[in-house]
Amino acid sequence: MSKRQLAMVMDLNKCIGCQTCTVACKTQWTNRNGREYMYWNNVETYPGDGYPKKWMELGGGFDAAGDLQPGIIPNIEADYGVPWDYNYDSLAEQNLIDDKPEAGWRPETSPTWGPNWDEDEGAGDFPNDNYFFYLPRICNHCSNPGCLSACPRDAIFKREEDGVVLVDLDRCQGYRYCIAGCPYKKIYFNPKISKSEKCILCFPRIEQGLPPACAQSCVGRIRFVGFLDDEESQVHKLVHKYKVALPLRPDYGTQPNVYYIPPVDTPPKFDAEGRIIEGSNRIPTEELEKLFGPAVHEAIKTIKAEREKRAKTGKSELMDILIAYQHKDMFRLDHNYYVEVAKKKGMKPLPLVDERYVAGKYTKNLHFKVHA
Amino acid sequence: MKRVVTIAAALSLAASMSLAGTVVEAVKVHSLKGFKCGTKLVKKIKWQKVEVYPQTTLKLNDKKALELHKNAKAKVVQVGALTDGKNVAIVMRWPDKTKDVFKGYKSDIYADGFAVQFAANPADAKKLPYIGMGSDGRPVEIIIRKAYDVVYEPNGNGDVEHQVNPHNTNYFGKDLNKFEKEVQQRGLRTYQRAFVSEGFRSMTEIKDNSVRYRTDMHYVGKKGMWGGTVVKPVKDMYEKPAKGELAIAVAVWDGKELERDGLKRLSSWIAVRLPGGKNKALEKVVTEKVKGDVANGKKQFETNCASCHRTRDFNTAPLYMAPGLENIGGQATAAYIRESILDPNAVIVPGYNRNAHPNFAWYTVDEKGKRTSTMPPFNYLDKKTVDDIVAYLQTQKAEVEK
Repeated sequence: MSKRQLAMVMDLNKCIGCQTCTVACKTQWTNRNGREYMYWNNVETYPGDGYPKKWMELGGGFDAAGDLQPGIIPNIEADYGVPWDYNYDSLAEQNLIDDKPEAGWRPETSPTWGPNWDEDEGAGDFPNDNYFFYLPRICNHCSNPGCLSACPRDAIFKREEDGVVLVDLDRCQGYRYCIAGCPYKKIYFNPKISKSEKCILCFPRIEQGLPPACAQSCVGRIRFVGFLDDEESQVHKLVHKYKVALPLRPDYGTQPNVYYIPPVDTPPKFDAEGRIIEGSNRIPTEELEKLFGPAVHEAIKTIKAEREKRAKTGKSELMDILIAYQHKDMFRLDHNYYVEVAKKKGMKPLPLVDERYVAGKYTKNLHFKVHA
Repeated sequence: MKRVVTIAAALSLAASMSLAGTVVEAVKVHSLKGFKCGTKLVKKIKWQKVEVYPQTTLKLNDKKALELHKNAKAKVVQVGALTDGKNVAIVMRWPDKTKDVFKGYKSDIYADGFAVQFAANPADAKKLPYIGMGSDGRPVEIIIRKAYDVVYEPNGNGDVEHQVNPHNTNYFGKDLNKFEKEVQQRGLRTYQRAFVSEGFRSMTEIKDNSVRYRTDMHYVGKKGMWGGTVVKPVKDMYEKPAKGELAIAVAVWDGKELERDGLKRLSSWIAVRLPGGKNKALEKVVTEKVKGDVANGKKQFETNCASCHRTRDFNTAPLYMAPGLENIGGQATAAYIRESILDPNAVIVPGYNRNAHPNFAWYTVDEKGKRTSTMPPFNYLDKKTVDDIVAYLQTQKAEVEK
C-alpha cells in the first residue's frame, strides 16, 4: 500500500462513447514504437466481449484466499486487433483503364477483432428490452496489483507517493506473467522492445499540474481525478463520503483505484404491444452487481435519493458534483506535494505548467490564474 | 578395519562419479578468436551428456504454459568446453524439434534460448550457490542468449527522432521508406545479456560492460538440434575458478512450450576442469550420489517433510506452501539437499513474489532484511535418516525425453 493514492472516478451515466479519451491517450502515448496495438484507455460497450476479447474470462486476479490465479495471455491479431493500413498504394498507382481495378478503399488485411469491434451491439431484443452502456477502462492502479504480484523479477512497482503502478523497463525482461496476472488485461506486451508497458496515469502531466490526458479531454466531463485521502477532493467525496463510486469487478481482489458511478437511469422496457412497462429498467441490476459488487444497490439508492432531494429542495452536494460544473473542482492535483517529494529524494522539482487544477491538500498557495 | 571402510567408500565414490558424469574437461586450444557455432574447433570438444530438468520449484501463473508442462520431461544437453588459457568457451547442443524465433508483431510467442551460469566463487564446494538463480551471499553470473529476430532498446539509446510513428513524420514515399529502413537498422539483432543474481527476483542486468562475453546460437534443422556457445574470460569481476575448475550450470528454453524465465529446463552444477586444474572437492560435490536406503528415505520424507513439500509421490501438501521438490534430484546437489535439511537458513531463496501467495510465507524478513526460513531445522535427525532422505530426493526427477 502506498502512502497516498491517486484515484479516478468515471460517471457511467454520462459517458457517450465518443472515444475522445481513447484518442487523447493514443496520440499522447501509444501511436508508436511497438505500442500501436495498445489502448491504455479504451471505451467498450457493455455487455460485449470488450478489449481484449473476452477479457473477463482470461483469468488473473486473486481468489478468496488471496492466491494469485493463473491467466491467459491474449493474442495480438485474434484478441486485441492489429491496426491495419488501407490500400493507398494500389489506389494511387493503379491505371484506371488498363488494370480494370476493383473500386474501393479497403483494409490490406482481414481483421477479426479490434478495440471497439462490438460497439453498440449490447444485449436484449430490440426494441423491447435491448440495452447497453459504455465502459471506459484504464489501468486501475490497484492497491493489490495482480501484475505486480505476478512479476518474477520485481520489475513492477507502485509509487510510494501516489500509488501509480509502473513498469521498470530496465528490469522487465518481457516474460509476460504480468499480463496473465492482471484480471483487467490492462498491461500489454510491446513486441518491439520485448517488454511490458501500461497506463502510467499520465504521471508526467500530474506532477506538473495537469490531469491525465483522458480526463482532461473528456467531453462528457465524466472523469474526476484527485487523491483519495484529500477530503476536499470530489474523488474522496464520491468514493468515501457518498459511496456512489465503486470499483470494477471487486471480486478479482486487486482493490482497484478507478471507480465508477453505475448507470442509474435507463429507459423502461416495452411490452409486446409496444407499451411502456412502468417502473421497469432496461439494465438488469444483476449485471451491475456482477460488475460492481453488491454495493451497487446502495449506490443506486443514494443517487436516486439525492436527485429527489435536489428536485425538491434545490440542494444536493452529490448532484452538484455529478453535474461537474468546473474542471478545477473535478481535478484536484497537488503540485506542492510533488515538489516536496522531489526535494526529499534530492531531485529537482518539475515546474508547474498549468495552475488551474492545483488545489490539493498539501498545496497551500492557491493559484487561480484564468487562462484565455 | 577403518581403512577398509574408507577404501570401500572411495571405490563406491569412484563408481558413482563415472555414472553421474557431470565433470566437463575444457580442451586447450591455441586461440578462441572468432569462435562460434560451426567453427572447426568444435570437433576438438570432449562432449559430456548433461540432463536438464523442468523447473518445478515455483508454479508460475501462465495457464496455457502450466497445462503444457503438466508432464514435462527432462532433456539431454551435450556440454563441452574449450579454453585458450585466458578465455573459456562453453559449448552446448540440445534437441528441440522446432526453431522458435521471436519475430514480428506478436504478444504470445516465445523464443528458444539458453543460458550458462557461473558460480561466483566455487572455492567452498559444499556451499555452491542455489542452482539456477544463486542465493544470498552466493551470487552467480548468468549469460543468456535468446533467438530473437530483432529487438530494440526501450529508450532507443536516447534517439528520440526515430521513436515517432512514421505517420507523424513529414516524410512521404521514398523518404518514408528511407526513414523506416533507418529505424530498422537501429534494432539489435543479437539478444544476449549478462546478469548477476543472488536469488529469484534479484537478477540484475550487467550493463556497464564489466563482463566481456559473446554468444552464438545456431539451429540445425536436419537434426532438430540447437547449438549454443558462450565465450568469456576464465575469470572476471563476477566469477573466478577455484583450483583450476569452474562451477557452471546450463539451462534451455523451448519457445514452443511457452518457456521463458522460470519455465525452463535446468541442469545441476557441472564442474569444468581447465587444463592442469584439479579440484577434487568440487568434482565430488557435483557427482555425489548418496548411497542410502531409498525406501526408508521415502518413509522418512512422508513423516517429516510431506506435509509441506510435494514430490512425485506425495501431493497432499497445499499448493504454494513450500518449494516443490518434483525435480530436485535432477537439479540440486546432495550437499545442498543435506544442508537445507539440517540448516534451512543457510540458503533462503527469495521465493514467490510475496504478494502472489500471502498465506504461505516461505520465510520471514526482519527490519534489517535478514530472512529466516519458515522451515524448522531437522538437525535432530540421525545421519542415516538424513542420508536416506537425500537418497530418496535424488530419485525425484522427471523421466528423460527419448
